[in-house]
Order: sequence, then C-alpha cells, then structure tokens
Amino acid sequence: MTANLRQTWWPGLLALLLALSFVATAERLKSVPRQTVDLELQVALPLFVQVFMAAGDRYLAANLAAIRALVVVTEKMRPEDYRILGKVQEDASWLNPAHEDNYYIATAILPWNGELDAAQTILRRASLARRFDYQPAFYYAFHLLHFKGDPVGASAWLREAAEKLPRDDERLIMQNFAARWIDRAHDVDLAIRIVEAMAKQARRKDFRAYLEQRVARLQSLKELRAAAGRYSERVGHPPLKLQDLVDSGLIPAIPSDPFGFGFEFDQQGQIILRKTPPRSPPK
Amino acid sequence: MWPFLVSAWRAGLRSRSIQGVLVLGVLLVGVAYLSASFSPRQPRTVALDVGMSGLRVSLVLFALFWVQELVGREIERRTVLFSLTYPVARGNYVLGRYFGVIGLLALAALLLGLLLWLVVLATGGDYQQGFVIAAGLPYWMTVGGLWLDAAVVAAFALWLSTFSTVPMLPLALGLAFAVGGKSLGAVTEYLAKGADGDPELMRFAPFINAIQWVLPDLSRLDWRAWPMYGLAPEGLAVGLGLVLAASYAALLLALAVITFTRREFQ
Repeated sequence: MTANLRQTWWPGLLALLLALSFVATAERLKSVPRQTVDLELQVALPLFVQVFMAAGDRYLAANLAAIRALVVVTEKMRPEDYRILGKVQEDASWLNPAHEDNYYIATAILPWNGELDAAQTILRRASLARRFDYQPAFYYAFHLLHFKGDPVGASAWLREAAEKLPRDDERLIMQNFAARWIDRAHDVDLAIRIVEAMAKQARRKDFRAYLEQRVARLQSLKELRAAAGRYSERVGHPPLKLQDLVDSGLIPAIPSDPFGFGFEFDQQGQIILRKTPPRSPPK
Repeated sequence: MWPFLVSAWRAGLRSRSIQGVLVLGVLLVGVAYLSASFSPRQPRTVALDVGMSGLRVSLVLFALFWVQELVGREIERRTVLFSLTYPVARGNYVLGRYFGVIGLLALAALLLGLLLWLVVLATGGDYQQGFVIAAGLPYWMTVGGLWLDAAVVAAFALWLSTFSTVPMLPLALGLAFAVGGKSLGAVTEYLAKGADGDPELMRFAPFINAIQWVLPDLSRLDWRAWPMYGLAPEGLAVGLGLVLAASYAALLLALAVITFTRREFQ
C-alpha cells in the first residue's frame, strides 16, 4: 500500500516541481535584458542573403525591400535608422533599378534626412534603367541644386530629363527650366513646389499626408527666412535666435513644425530645418 | 511513349498533392493582389511583379511534385515494373513521363497566368498609373519563360529520380537547384561589379565562375521587365537563354535515359 502510494505520488510531485521551476524561471527571465545584435545587421541584410531568402528571385527581393521602406514610421526614426533605410533602398535599387516606388519613396524621405548620397545612387540607377521616365533625372537634378548647391550640374541633369519627355513642347519647357535653374540655388519656393507635386501624385492617403506635412514645414521655413531678411534690413545684422523675430514683431510666433523637430541656424547664419528632435522645445 | 505521356496526364491531374500546390498557386496570386495596396504609384506593376514571383514558385513546386508523383513514387513502390513489361525501350518511359510533366506544367502556367492576368487588370481600380504595363505578348512571353524555367527544373529532378534510392532526394535537391539557378544571375552580376569592394566576397568569384559550367543561369529566362516597364530584352540574350535551357534540359534527359536503362530493379 505504502509502496503503491509512493509510486502514485512521485510523478505528480515531480511534475509540480518542474512546473514551479518553469514559472519561476519565466518570471525571472522577464527582467533579464535581451542580447541585441548590431542594428544594421538586424535590418539591412547582405544582398546575397536577400536574394536567397526570396528563393533566388531578385525582383521579389526588391519588392520586399521596397515594401519595408514604405511601411517604416518616419516620425520616430533616428539618424542611424535613416542610414539603414538608405541601405535597404539602395539594395532594392540594385536588385531592380527600375522599381518606381523605390526611387519615389527614396526621393520623398532620404535626402531630407541626411541620406542624400543613397538617394542620388538610387535615382542615378533608376534614370539609367527607366529610359522612358524623366522623373529620376529630374529629382536628381533638383537634389543637386537644393542640397548640394550645384546649379551647373543640376542644369545638366535637367536637360537629360528633358530628353526623356515624349512631347516637344514639354521638352522645351524643361530645357527652359534647366536654363533658369542655374540662377536658383537654395530656393525654398522650388522645394515647396516639387514636394507639393509629389504629394498630388501620391495614391496612398497616409503618404500624401506625410508629404503635405513636409510642404507645411518648408512653408514655415520660407516664412522664417523672409522674416529674418526683414530683420537684417531693420536692425542691421541677422537675428541670433528665432525668438528675436517674434520679439521684433515680424512674426506673431515661431511657426510650428508638424514633425516636432523645429528650425535652427547653420554655420553661415541661415535658418534651416532641424534633422533631429530638439532636447528642449525649439526657441 | 504516348501511353506513358497520357497516363502521366491522368495521374498528374488526379494527384492530391498537386491539388494542394494549385491552391498555393491561387493563394500566391491573391498575395499579388494584396501587395498592390503597398504601392503608392504603380499598383498594377507591383501586382504583376509579385504575381510573377508567385507563378515561378508555383510552377517549380508543380514540376518537383509531378516528377516525384509520376516517377519517384512509381520507382519507390515498384509499380514502375508494370510499365517496363511493355515491349518498348525504357527510354520511352522516361521521355513520356517528362513530356507529360511539361505538358501539365504548360496547362498550369496557362491557368495561373490567366488568373494573374485578370487579377492584375482588376488591380488599382480607377487609378491610372503614369506608366502602363504591357499585358499582351510581353506578358505571355514572360509566362512562357517561367514555364521553360520549370521545365529545366523538372528535367533535373527527373534525372535524379532515375538513380536516387532516397525518395525525397529529387524533391530537396530539385528545390536547391531551382533556387541556386535563379540566384546565379544576381550573384555573378554582384561579383562582376566588385561586390561593393568587399575582398572577402570577391574570394568566391572563381568558385561562382566555375559553378556556371554545371548550373544554368535560370534568371536568363525571366523577362518580366518587358511587361512591367516595356523594356524588351535583347534578342541575342533571349535566344542564347533559350538555347542554354533547351540544351541543358536535353542533356539531363539523355543522362536520365542512360541511367534508367541501366538501372537494376530488385
């Protein structure tokens, strides 16, 4: 009888001990930090791996990378995240240089967040592959003008874009633009018009809203630069901080930035868009 | 040869595993339709692109399963011996089965291609893309290229089946062959352009070059840039790709006939 009881109880007791051990370990493990691998390796896989993961299909690998680029939430991204996004999109453009969404998303996000070189690589490849599409060369030209301050190079690329337009009158208009761009480095109005045009072409509502926020941001920048110009004329020197423009009554308040990053001065004293969120509210 | 081909058709259409793969094919076309919603400017192109990838995966799986069902399993269960009692050369059995399988593949390519074609045209609603897709001859030529790709994979799996004593070997190695052959184009191009200056990867270059003597570059049979962007492939590239695929498949078939003729069944 005793031996029988022992035989019946031991397995149950063992199971109970194991269950307690499991629950205690699971509870303790919750507070143990997870090992993290290098962020770049975590999200930007080597090209070989991307191709093999897509069963050897480079077009599928390109689509997967382009979809990843499209679904990222840019509001919470840090500079190193943009670097990885640039790498993912560069890889997508290597796998399928003609991918329209890829060059379009790259144009909308990367150059505005410190990843101009990646955007230009993607656009150069797209321009070569898409012999029928003027837009990659057009955006490439605009970036040279706006970000690099290279109106001569921009004008040359714009003429290349003009050659891809189907109609003579359209070609003529763009060639005319190419001539005028030589005089228009750092033109915020031009940036507003181009991003506005991109927003109008966007089919997805959330992406259109993102581009419209970018337009609003550029319009605020334009307003601030105009006020700074008037300030310099009135006081004889440029403003030292943005609050000077408000204190002098030139603007009612510092315009709000839909991204929450705000504005700052560059080394030449020019007001520019901040690329990272400020530690304290912008002044 | 004809009776073996006809029996391959009958058995192939009845097979349950193939019905499963057919469902997978339809699902992949569904995925293509859904993937279009991720595209801000070119929903039809993306649906076509992802759909072509799904079609290729489905056709390769069809090829492997049909070869497995119609040759591998017959050898495993020894039912092949009934076919070999006919007073014809053994090669007829191998060739009949192969042409039966590629005929079935053509039917599958046509059906799934038609389904994808309808899905792509129905994608995007009223939205007019800046650059329209070429849904006529370029589309069907691309489907034809994917069929040829699957036919080469079928020839490889068939050759393996003629000597394999492990039932799953043709399926597993056939899949590795399909992925390897398809990756080869991207990998050789990457290495030819300097592998982003990575000397570690460049050490593989001679090895990859040597592989091309035994593994065909199946990406040469993928012409989807034509229907997607209107970029017609060069005639020379298409012609050489066709000759490469046909000669490789014929070589494997010849080897399969030789191996099967000499095989001793206990």
